[in-house]
Amino acid sequence: MLRVLRARLPRPSLSELALTILFALLGAPVVAVRAGAQEPPYFVTYSHHLEEPGNLEIEFNPVFGTQRGGNDYIAGSAELEYGVKAWWTSEFYLDGQSTFGDSAIFTGFRWENRFRPLMREHWINPLLYFEYENISEADKSMIEVVGSDSEPDYAVLNSVLRQGIQHELEGKLILSSDFQGWNVSENFIAERNLGHDPYEFGYAAGASRPLALAASSHWCNFCAENFFVGAEFYGGLGTTWDLTTSGTSHYGAAILGWQLPNGASFHISPGFGLNGNSHRFILRWGITYEIPNAGARLQRLFR
Amino acid sequence: MKRFAQLVPAVLLITSLGLEARSKHAWRHDSRGVLLAIARAPTSAREKQNPFRGDGKAILAGEKLYSEHCAECHGDDARGGAHAADLCAPDVQKATSGELEWLLRNGNLAHGMPSWSGLPEQRLWQIVAYVKTLH
Repeated sequence: MLRVLRARLPRPSLSELALTILFALLGAPVVAVRAGAQEPPYFVTYSHHLEEPGNLEIEFNPVFGTQRGGNDYIAGSAELEYGVKAWWTSEFYLDGQSTFGDSAIFTGFRWENRFRPLMREHWINPLLYFEYENISEADKSMIEVVGSDSEPDYAVLNSVLRQGIQHELEGKLILSSDFQGWNVSENFIAERNLGHDPYEFGYAAGASRPLALAASSHWCNFCAENFFVGAEFYGGLGTTWDLTTSGTSHYGAAILGWQLPNGASFHISPGFGLNGNSHRFILRWGITYEIPNAGARLQRLFR
Repeated sequence: MKRFAQLVPAVLLITSLGLEARSKHAWRHDSRGVLLAIARAPTSAREKQNPFRGDGKAILAGEKLYSEHCAECHGDDARGGAHAADLCAPDVQKATSGELEWLLRNGNLAHGMPSWSGLPEQRLWQIVAYVKTLH
């Protein structure tokens, strides 16, 4: 695999190099505050577990993708996730990408809100998700796959792709269950460009579990309880004009997560295209850092 | 005009953060709130026994989990504060282990306490085992 990656990497320009290094190294801040999140380590799938109220989670999730008929790329999103209420989480994304042999560009922003309509736990817990996107067609972060999104869409030069700006609204129905340590989540996605086009649909589903269910009695970084394993599948489902699973891309990915007691967590996910329209290989990795009670800290500024 | 339109979501986000930070009363969660929440627990949940009751290691694990997930709001000494209930209060200590586990799993979403159902059931019981040692 490394040999394939090396062979595909042409000499990057200075700006590409800078963005790539930024994407790769922003994974370093580890500060000694004890705080633990409980979200499963998915990259694409959402579960019903929201950010704890008042907590601010800072995430950085790069993705490397291979590209047939074009250059490989690293894209990524910086995310700020805030628990507004125990039943409402708001998240703001900044997206960018660096295509090898082409350029590194900022591709736009997204703002999403997730709401829990039911106030108690059930076998299946629904969550409503609404997002506004203002991104260029050069966005390659692949936070979701909808409509007929396919690998050839990514082969066009950045200078051409960035001309197209999309203002989109996206809704998701998130269904999620916890059972004997497992989380199983299914997402149904509907997205619409505000200017034109029909609704585009997609799906994501994931399952994950910590390696140990009970906690150990001492603080530790490498205990099994801090590691999560899982898998997720996601892809497009066509449009209102052509609801289909063909002519679009589908992916399957394994996930490994490592959550430190100080609020930082790392996760990595090698993914593989499941049909000819998909990138053959994508590698996602990410770092998350949670600041507990950021809301209360902000409150002091308003006094 | 286009730039202005792009700024609107960011301004709304910042405003919501500010408003949330100011609404300190939304966070108030005294032991009466805990009792009201526990009152909704079904009988089957109330009668559940803690599989870790009296297990010293589980209590230590519970203390660790408490420090990791709960102390930020309830305080290191679990005496609560403006944001969360005093877990040492007699009202809370009178609750059964099953009721506390149910409350942890479901949270009290309308009053600011999150659901901790993302933690495996074993860890919830470990936290309950620790909370039951507080007086």
